[in-house]
This record gives sequence, C-alpha cells and structure tokens, in this order.
Amino acid sequence: MSRYEDAAAGTAGGEGAGRAPAPGKALGTGRAEPVLQLTDVRRRFGSLTAVDGVSLSLPPGARHAVIGPNGAGKTTLLNLIAGTDRPDSGTLRLDGTDIARLGPGRRNRLGIARSFQQPTAVAELSALDNIVLASWRHHGTGRGLWRSPRRHRQLTERALRRLDEVGLAPVAHRPAGALSHGQRRLLDLAAALSGTPRLLLLDEPAAGLTDTDIARLLDVLARLDTDTAVILVEHHSEVVARFARTVTVLAAGRALITAPTREALAHPEVREAYLESVPAEETP
Amino acid sequence: MGFLDAQFVPALDGVAYGLLLFVVAAGLSLAFGTAGVLNLSHGTLYALGAYTGAECGDGTWGGFLLGLAAGTAVACLAGVLLSAATAPLARRGHLAQALLTFGLALAGGNLLVEFFGEDEMPVPVPGVLDSTVTLLGHRYPAYRLCFIGMALLLAAAGTWVLTRTRAGAAVRAAADDPQMLAATGISPRAVHTGVLAASGALAGAAGALGAPIIGPGPDTADTVLMLSLVIVVLGGLRSLWATLAAALLVGEVQTLGVSLMPDWAPYLLFAAMAAVLVLRSGLAAEPETAAHQDGAPSRPARALAAVRAQVTTGTAELTARLTGPLTSRLPARLRGPAGSAAPFLLLLAVLAALPSVLDAYSLSLVGYALALGLLAVSVTVVTGYAGLPTLGQAAPFAVGGYATALLAEEGWTTGPLLVLLAALAAALFSLVTGPAIIRARGTTVLMITLAVGELTVTAIDRMGWLTGGTDGLVGFPALRWLPGTPELLDERQLYGYALTVAAVALALTLLVLHSPAGKLLTGSRAAESRLRASGHPVGRYLLVAHLGAGALAGVGGSLMVTVQSYISPADVGFETAALALLAAVIGGTRSVLGALLGAGLIVFTRDWLAGAWPGHAPLLLGALFVAAVYLLPRGLAGLLPRPEPGRPPAPAKTAAPRPAERSAT
Repeated sequence: MSRYEDAAAGTAGGEGAGRAPAPGKALGTGRAEPVLQLTDVRRRFGSLTAVDGVSLSLPPGARHAVIGPNGAGKTTLLNLIAGTDRPDSGTLRLDGTDIARLGPGRRNRLGIARSFQQPTAVAELSALDNIVLASWRHHGTGRGLWRSPRRHRQLTERALRRLDEVGLAPVAHRPAGALSHGQRRLLDLAAALSGTPRLLLLDEPAAGLTDTDIARLLDVLARLDTDTAVILVEHHSEVVARFARTVTVLAAGRALITAPTREALAHPEVREAYLESVPAEETP
Repeated sequence: MGFLDAQFVPALDGVAYGLLLFVVAAGLSLAFGTAGVLNLSHGTLYALGAYTGAECGDGTWGGFLLGLAAGTAVACLAGVLLSAATAPLARRGHLAQALLTFGLALAGGNLLVEFFGEDEMPVPVPGVLDSTVTLLGHRYPAYRLCFIGMALLLAAAGTWVLTRTRAGAAVRAAADDPQMLAATGISPRAVHTGVLAASGALAGAAGALGAPIIGPGPDTADTVLMLSLVIVVLGGLRSLWATLAAALLVGEVQTLGVSLMPDWAPYLLFAAMAAVLVLRSGLAAEPETAAHQDGAPSRPARALAAVRAQVTTGTAELTARLTGPLTSRLPARLRGPAGSAAPFLLLLAVLAALPSVLDAYSLSLVGYALALGLLAVSVTVVTGYAGLPTLGQAAPFAVGGYATALLAEEGWTTGPLLVLLAALAAALFSLVTGPAIIRARGTTVLMITLAVGELTVTAIDRMGWLTGGTDGLVGFPALRWLPGTPELLDERQLYGYALTVAAVALALTLLVLHSPAGKLLTGSRAAESRLRASGHPVGRYLLVAHLGAGALAGVGGSLMVTVQSYISPADVGFETAALALLAAVIGGTRSVLGALLGAGLIVFTRDWLAGAWPGHAPLLLGALFVAAVYLLPRGLAGLLPRPEPGRPPAPAKTAAPRPAERSAT
C-alpha cells in the first residue's frame, strides 16, 4: 500500500474511481462554464515546436495533471498559461475572458497563481516577508505601494496563517535563502496559494522532496479550496495518481490523450511512450 | 557625381577608421563573449600599443615592424596579467570586473602620460608610405590605403584561427559550455588566459598599426574604449561579421557622418546604440556569458583571501568597538531590521563638527563629496535595490544641476525651492528615460544608461545658448535659505546648507528603502518571476524607483552647483557617472551608508590626497579601486557588524544573472 495513505485520504478523486469528481466536490463541474479554456495553443522556439496545438478545458475545482517525458512541453504549457510566455497562435480564456495578450502580473490578479520548477523566493527576506509580498496585491488591499499599518498587520497575520498551513511557521523569520530545499518548495507553494487563486499551476512540486515533505505536500493539496482548479505538472507518478482526477499526457508538444487518471495511466500508448516505469500496483 | 566626388575621401577614411576599430573591438568582444571579462582597460591596451609603436618608429620599415612586434607583445603581456588579475573575480559578477579594469585603466593611463608626456606623440611611418597616392582623382595618404590592406589581412587571419583551427574551436567551446570543454581535457583556465592574451595582442597590434590614424595621447584610451563598446553592442557578441559591419558603420559615422551632418553626427552613435539595445532587450534575454569555472583557488588567490580576512575581521572589530556602545544604548526602535540608525547619526555628528576643524577649501571638498554621495546613493537605489546597474545617473544629476544654475540666473534664489524644482526636473527626466532602461537587465542596462548619459552630455555640450556649452555656467547669484534672509556666501554657510539638504534627502531615502516599498524593490530584483507571478507590476516598481533615484541625483546636482558655484559638462560626464557607480560598488552596492563613504573616499583620494602629489589623481584612484575590489569583496558595508550574526552567508547565486524565464520544458 501507499506510503502516503494518510495524506492522500482527503483527495477523494485519486483514491476513488478516478472517473468522476467525488460527490462533495461536484459543485460547478459537469456543465459549468470552464475556468480555463485553451484552444489549439502553439509555441515554437526556433525550429522546435514546444507546444503543438494543445486544447484543454478545465471546470472549477478540476484536479488535472499534465505528465510526459522531459522535453514534452509541460513547463512551456504552464508558462503559456501563467503569462511568462506568449503563444504563437491559439486562444487562452480564463472565465471566458481572452487572456492571451496579458502579462503574468495581470493574469495573477485575475486569479492564476503558480509555483516554479526551481522554487523561487527572495533569498534575503524572511519567509514571512516573502508571503506578505506574495499576498500584497490581493485581498482587496488596494493597488499602490502604500499600506496602512493596520492593513499591513492584517497582511502579516494572514501570511503567518498561510505559513502555518504548510508547516513553515517555526521558520517564519528565517531568511528564505537559509531554508532547506523542501522548505523552499513549501514556501513557493504557500506564496502561490496566498492570493486564493481560481487556477493554481504547480510545476513539479514534489521534485527533490523527502517522503515526509511529500506527505505534507499532499496534505496541503488535499485541503485546497474545492473551487480552485489545479494543473499539476509532475513526474512523481504516485503523487499524480493520488491527487489528479484527470490527466493529459504530453509527448513532443502534443496532447496524446486527456482522460480520467486511471484510464490515462493504463492507456497502452502512454505506457509505451512514457510510463513503463510505473509499477502496476500503483495504479489501482 | 559632384556629391559623391566630394565625399570620397571621408568615405574612404571611414573604411580605414572602421577597420581599425574592428580590430580593437574584436578583441573586446572576444574577452567579453568568451572569457566573460568586461574589460574597461581595453582602450589602455590600445594606447600601450600605440605609444610603443610611436616610440620604436623611426621612419624605416625596420622601426615600423619592430614597433608592431613590440606593441603587440607588450599588450599581449598586459592581457596575460589581466587574466591573472580577473581570475579571482570569476564568481563576482561584472561590476567587480568593471571596478578592477576601470581602476587599471586609470592607473595605466596615468603611467603612460608619466612616461610619454601629455602631448600627442608624432608617429613616424616608413618613408615609402609617408606620401600620397592618386585615387580616382583624389590625393590620398598611402599609409591609410596600406593600413586598410593590413587590417583586412589581420581580420581574415583572426577569423581563420577562430573558425578553422583547434584553438579557435576551444575558444568557441569555452564561450558555449566551459564545463563540457573541461571534460574534454582542455583547461578553461588556459583558454581564459589565452583569450585575454589574444585580446590584448589584437589591441596592441591595432595600436601600433593605427597610431598614425588615432595617435597616442592622453585621450586615446577613452576614445577607443567608447567607440569599441559601441561597436560590440551594435554588433552583438555572436558573429565577427556583425562586428565588422558595426565597426564600418561607426567609422563612417565618425568621418562621413561628420562631413555630411555635422549637427547630428555626435548624437548618432549613442542614439543608435541605445535604440539597438532597447529593441533587443524587448526581444530576448541577455545571453549569459560563460562564467569562468575553476576548482581549487590558486595560491595568490588563497594568499589574497587571507589578507582580505585579516582586513575584514580587523576593521569589523574596530567598527563594532566604535559603534557598539552607541548602538546598545539606542532604543530598540532605532535598531531597525535593515541595520541600525547609529552609523548614520555618527556620520551626521562628524560631518556637523567638521566646520570647526577644517579649512575653507577642505570644507568645500566635503560639500562636493556630499553632492557626489547623493549621486552614489541614487546609483545604489537603482543598482543595488532595483538591480539595474547604471552608468547614466550623471544625467539626472546634470539636469538637477543645470536647472538650479539656470533658475538662479533668472533670480530664483530660495534654496529649498530650487532643490525641489531640481528634483522635479530630474525626476521628469528619469520618467522619460526610464521606459528604455527598465526592460533590460545586467550589462545591457550598463550600456543603455551609458548611451543615455553620453547623449545628455552631448546635448548639454551643443546647446550652448542655454547651457554655456563646454564653458559651463558661472556667475549666477548666491542662494538664500528663505526670501529676505542673507545670501549664503561663506564656505561654512554653504556647507551648512548642503549638509542640511543632504541629510533631509537621505532621511527620506532611508525611510522609503526601509518601508515595505524597499522590500518590494528587493523582491523585484532578487525574485522577479515570483513577484510577477504574485501579481506585482514589477516594471512599474522599477520605473518608480528609477524616478525616485533620479530625483535624488537631481538634489545632488543642485548641491554640487551650490557648493562650487559652477557647472560644466566635465562635471556631469562619463567620469562622474563611473565614479558614482564605483562609489556604490565600493560601498557594497546595497548600502546607503557605504555609498556615502565610498563617494567620500573617492573625493578624498582624488582631490585631497592628490593635492600632495599633483598630477597623480588617476593613479591614486586606480590604486583605490584595485585595492577595494580585492580587499573588500562585500564593499565597505561588509566591514560593518552584521545585523544578524550566525545568519548563513547569502547564497552565491545573488550575483548570478536572473534565470531566464523562458525554457522549453
């Protein structure tokens, strides 16, 4: 059985049938307006087509994983959604609004948050300050550089709670540069969560984590807002199996298949292309 | 036909000039693109070759060839020394290299003038070539024609070595992936030395051959360095052909351009450079230059580290002992998280006590140092906090200074009002130039801001009706604190005014930097992608920081004009910009106090110490920079007791360029 049983118990989708969202989370799924809709998105780097005509539609509360071998275009796809990169063609809609030409800052304010493949934090500021900065533009605190002391205190308290949720409260006043790799991953995750996003993009959140940290990660993910749609890019197949209800398999920039998790992982073409390494007992 | 006919000689001159610059710029580009060394002493290597060539030349072929060989060898040797000097700085980024090579250029230039005199040296060419030939009905110096041939040969040989030989392959490999090269058994260290030696040899050969065209003189090094920087920037680092095209373009602008459009040619080069950079930084991230990797530090590096540790711990102990009692008695509120206020209060107390100790001349020097200090602090804000290394802050400094002088001429003599207006004018200027700067990163910013600064000085130079041109502005009425109060005439009164204004401006700056705004700026520099992904309009923050720093520089300019009652383009040119940047770097790049002390140290060295040894200010300054780069790796700020003892040292990656955000999975 799984080492992550406790943590994963909350992710009904992974443990359950893997086809439909669990009843408690069905709210808004099915016929609802998609949160994110990609149509035929393409991105070329010179002669390399990193993302080659990918279409994807996610309802609110989606738990979607994108898997595929290295170089399949997973991170490029996330960058295109987050706005750090622009597509050469195709449309990107968030809640029906075209966002293809907006920058990453604007998209975040509309509700797209992300974690990075390399955890990214301001090394010389404390973990707490990092989270305060991450939530600075959210929670209706206005737009300017100025925050009243009362507002600032509220932001700080909220940031402390956020750190507590990911288990980093004891190191809140440590400079982010002094944290361990696992702690920095969780800090990056906390930063991504601090805006209460509509759509959360996670870029290999389990990479380089110890088993304890992975359990912690799954625990945090299990307690996400039921309305938040999540796209998880991950190589760690057990995390994918535990967390995701649906999976897209990318290979050479193309979507090989988009299906419920178990079906996708069991698909012969997928096994051939990428997943030979997954032991059979791990995909129930 | 008549037009073409009249422009034939300047056009041909442009080709010769362009080819000469190509040989120099190819060396600069090689050193930067392959060895990762931003060599600001490259112009001095050219001058070295030119002086040697002129010294050996006696009008015979033998003397000429001897000069060529000796000039090349001497500059090649200098390149090897430079390689040894830059090796310990491999992991410290381009600002440390700039500090070192600028220091070497200053000292080297001073020594060359010492040996060869202040006048431009006459350069004898072999008798046969010292004549004119007739080309399409024009008389043209034979030497220049011959030079065109020689430069083409040199360029072809260089291209052949780089593209067709094993050594060239190693050099190109070192640029792409030094670790891979090391894995094939070639030492990247050897390639580093070889590249800098070749780069020096190119500059030396160009100097010896080109001496009859750009002759050896005190200004040679600066001219050649500036023009080759422009060429390297215009041509990019990728292809020799692009560098050649850029060199010919620059050569033609300098000859044909001046002949055709004398009014616009001075602006053309730097405007073109700025335009290319701004367009390019909009398109792609700066290519990361190969960092020189070496495993175990060499013996001199270890010895140096030991000396450095001695100096650092010794002075840290001293400052701790000096400021410790003071700090511990202060209320906790004043010992803020970003460092204590005590050092500032101590500095203020010392500065306030100076008028009772110093003579009038020294006092006015301190006043000038305050003005330069504000400029250096503004560079710290832009470079250290916002992460945009700038050589262009002398431009808002100039705007503030000239605004003050011009308004005073119009009869506006209320000091505080003038300072505010100067700050406003400088902020407006920075608002206009900001958008061109804030999109770029790293050395590209240095080059864009250099262009902005040079364009500003050129404009000041040429708008004589307003600015007095090269003569500058002098003789405007003295300031008053308020309308009706007596004029500030005496040095002591002026110093009091300057100190008050500077203290207020610095207090405001510190307040802003220690507020959350400072953290936003720190975040924008250190984790830009995280801040963007958290919804922050990073570009807007950088623009605001640039604008605020511009206002601060404007206040500095206003103070300078008030203290020295005079302003000219020489006060606000490249040298001022470079000194302000180096003051900030010596200070520790992110330390306001360090920048102030750095500026003080520079003024003390250049204007006070050099008073005892006239004519050697550049040598002393150069020595100061070279000493600072080795002995104070974290700047003067590194000497202060650390706010949090036991905190692990900052990770080395802070000096590295930001990771490119665009990566194909």
